[in-house]
Amino acid sequence: MKLFHLKYLLTAVVIFVCFTQSIAQTSIMGTVMNNKKQPVNNASIVIKETNVGVTADSSGRFRLIDTNKVNINLEISAMGYGSREIVLKPADSVMNLEIILKEEHQMLGEVVVEAGSFEASDKAKGATLTPMDAVTVAGNGGDIANALRFLPGSQQIGEKEGLFVRGGTGAETKQFVDGALLPNPNFVSVPGLPQPAHLNPFLFRGILFSSGGYSALYGDALSSALILQTVDLPDKSSASLHIFPTSQGAGFQEITKNDKGSYGADVSYGNQHLYNQVVPQQPDYFHGPEYFTADGNFRIRTGKTGILKFYTNYGFSNVGMQNPDIDSNNLISSFQTKGINMYSNLSYHGILDKHWKIDAVTAYGYNTQKIVTALLDSSKQQVIIADTPYNAKNSLTRINSNFAQARTVLTRTFAHRQALRFGAEYFLNNDNYQYNGVEFPLKDNQLAAFAETDIYLTQNIAAKAGIRYEYSSLLRRSNLAPRLSMAYKFYNGGQINLAYGIFYEKPEPVYLIQYDNPEFTKATHYIINYQKKANNRLLRIEAYYKKYDQLVTTAPVLGNHGVGYAKGIELFFRDKKTFKNFDYWITYTYLDTRRQFLNYPYELRPDFTTPHTASFVLKRFFQDINLSANLSYSLATGRPYYDIRANAEDKTFIYEKGITSMYNTMNLSFAYLFTMFKKRKGKDYSGIGFGVNNVLGTKQIFGYNFSYDGLNKVPITLPSARNYYIGLFMSFGIDRREDFINENL
Amino acid sequence: MNKTIVMMVFAFTMHTHLPAQTISENQVKASVSRLDHATTIKDYQQLASDFEREAGTLKIQWLPYYYAAYCNAKTGWLNEEDPDNIEPFANKAEEQIRKAQSLLDTASQKKELSEIYCVLSMLNRARVFMNPSTYGPKYGPAASNFIRLALKLNPENPRALFLEGWEKYTTPKMWGGDKAKAKELLETARQKLNGESSSGVNPHWGRKDVDGILRD
Repeated sequence: MKLFHLKYLLTAVVIFVCFTQSIAQTSIMGTVMNNKKQPVNNASIVIKETNVGVTADSSGRFRLIDTNKVNINLEISAMGYGSREIVLKPADSVMNLEIILKEEHQMLGEVVVEAGSFEASDKAKGATLTPMDAVTVAGNGGDIANALRFLPGSQQIGEKEGLFVRGGTGAETKQFVDGALLPNPNFVSVPGLPQPAHLNPFLFRGILFSSGGYSALYGDALSSALILQTVDLPDKSSASLHIFPTSQGAGFQEITKNDKGSYGADVSYGNQHLYNQVVPQQPDYFHGPEYFTADGNFRIRTGKTGILKFYTNYGFSNVGMQNPDIDSNNLISSFQTKGINMYSNLSYHGILDKHWKIDAVTAYGYNTQKIVTALLDSSKQQVIIADTPYNAKNSLTRINSNFAQARTVLTRTFAHRQALRFGAEYFLNNDNYQYNGVEFPLKDNQLAAFAETDIYLTQNIAAKAGIRYEYSSLLRRSNLAPRLSMAYKFYNGGQINLAYGIFYEKPEPVYLIQYDNPEFTKATHYIINYQKKANNRLLRIEAYYKKYDQLVTTAPVLGNHGVGYAKGIELFFRDKKTFKNFDYWITYTYLDTRRQFLNYPYELRPDFTTPHTASFVLKRFFQDINLSANLSYSLATGRPYYDIRANAEDKTFIYEKGITSMYNTMNLSFAYLFTMFKKRKGKDYSGIGFGVNNVLGTKQIFGYNFSYDGLNKVPITLPSARNYYIGLFMSFGIDRREDFINENL
Repeated sequence: MNKTIVMMVFAFTMHTHLPAQTISENQVKASVSRLDHATTIKDYQQLASDFEREAGTLKIQWLPYYYAAYCNAKTGWLNEEDPDNIEPFANKAEEQIRKAQSLLDTASQKKELSEIYCVLSMLNRARVFMNPSTYGPKYGPAASNFIRLALKLNPENPRALFLEGWEKYTTPKMWGGDKAKAKELLETARQKLNGESSSGVNPHWGRKDVDGILRD
């Protein structure tokens, strides 16, 4: 007999036998469930060492017909669950088995503690923010902190750089790059004019904006931490350039031949003088504003998992402006500042062995600033008047500051994603402040040690508990700050997060140089948050309460006698689904805060806060015409303003107060993308970017400056009603993404 | 009495959605014919699970692994509007398709390898859906490259032609999209699919997908 005949015959016999026997056999029935007793879809049930098996239906039920074996060995498995074996003895009931599968970690929708933070990472899925989403918000002017003003929790502060979060000042938010503090994220301050950021926002692949309750790994920020992670090796070597009326620059990134490293540099120069001739500004600029930036980097992959990264940035700015003097009709007050800033950061990340990871970083920063103020007559000649307030109007301030930091964090990982992180860091500040020739040196050694654990109690409950110790040689004080956060994930994908923590911050240098016995300022945060993410939508609601203690008070004497609170509710909703091709988000921030600090005579609503803020961000890419369009709109109630004066005993009182008009601003930005040299091997990706800030030309009043006699008040407003830009950018890349593909074949 | 029990058991057996419980080539065949009518995520997940079990038993055969991977990759595509729910399916698909690939003699089984590249392309494309702006730059080129490789091995492969057509159809013009060219490719794919046997266990999916776009 030919072989295949035999095969068919055998098959027929087997089918026949199976069919007849099955009638006489008992069947095994049961339900597959998770530990919450919810059915597990599509579980697979197989009798081991046989060819018999079924798939459970959507209610987890299955039916199997057993073989003639004495003991039946069942193997049950399902996606997202650990597989399981059970042995059925002849005596066991086989009519209503209940099989519980344990959910496997790291498979479907793991829980991550998320109270107080917004994370934009290059691993973001669905409606979670990516760094690109954050940095392409219209009107951010290339400053990541400005882009984050369109997230809930931050105030719309138009006259100053920095992030003002939940009743905190800009100085209460700190930025960290690869673990190290970034002491001066922006060019040196100019009164009434926000200054640009030093670092290019496209440098970051991970942005964690914590509006409260942040990790014990970070400190010295009362309100908020902006934790930035720089990019690793680029995908390709490339060169780029941009030409805008107010800024021109070029740069490159080169991957080394062995693919193990890369290096690059960029330079950019901008002078707004020309632009200001076309679009008139108030103040009257006599220099610039002028900005120069140069940066360099290298990144080396060491071993299989390690990466060593170096980044250095140099910035120079020079801004000179004149305004009518507030105290006199015919005098002019002149202000000029020049600043040089350097920042370098060397970091290493690597896996030591199966259980240990290391993150180490050192940073060095140097900042020098010169401010010259002068009183001029109508022919712009300097005048010196000995009477108050004019005697303070001719001045020279010099600031030199050196900053160094070293930090190491070790992580020990355990089974089921449990982890322990601990480490220490050291900061050195060596500053010199000089006012009209009088020097105020300031030197501080700060030491911090911290530990934090990731605890996963079950698949859907996670917690992070941490503690941070800080010591400052200048304050001759230490503190201990506990931090705790928890998350509970519901089966529908929603999640509740809780956070608590104590946060300390050193008073700002401008006060420290005048102090006798400074203390750390202190805030306690309590946060509750609910968020749900599904189907390309993300909803997040957060409520918090904060208590301030030991805030800096400057009147009647300098001390840490300030107290206060902040509480509020914030909402964020992002939707990429409802309107095809449109991506939008809406935020609402409610803030109720009062504090007694600086020269406030009692607890007041600070002049950088407002109760209601709403914003709307819309993005769309028009595929057919290669146009990307971004719109941002924000609306806020007015901010309080005060004219605070001191009496003869240096006690302060409010001479005048009020609320500014509503704030509303709309920004638009567009990028039209094209390729100029299609045939060239290293194809270019070019674009024309253009946009308008404050499209509606709304008059913005952020507050008022008061004259010495209190009779004259001058609004703090935008230098011009609208701000326009247009320019060209190009990028030439040698596509090396093929390498990735080939590696994966 | 006895007869009643027999009838009940019989009715019961008929009622279960699996026609046969014994894993054999016949069952693979039955699963494949169920696949021809699958439309929802639920259908594909049930099938993914069935194929995986069949693969586990018939160890040396590439097809069950191939189909299990295809069903998971397809689930990833069907979850395009629910991007948080793609990664595990894409990862599972990759694991399974690599097993299928390892069971082939890649020197002689060119046509089979071409089919495998199609699934590799699909699962990488599914990863792009997780968030095109972040995952696109990494997985998009991988997805296109696997189509190229599939067509190199078998220029007639209608599934590779479909995937190429799909890509040309959905990609913005700026990045190389071309709707007219896409329609041409899809028409060719349709012709080739019509020339294929629509039964049996060999890969023959694609008709519904092609018609879906051409109807637009």
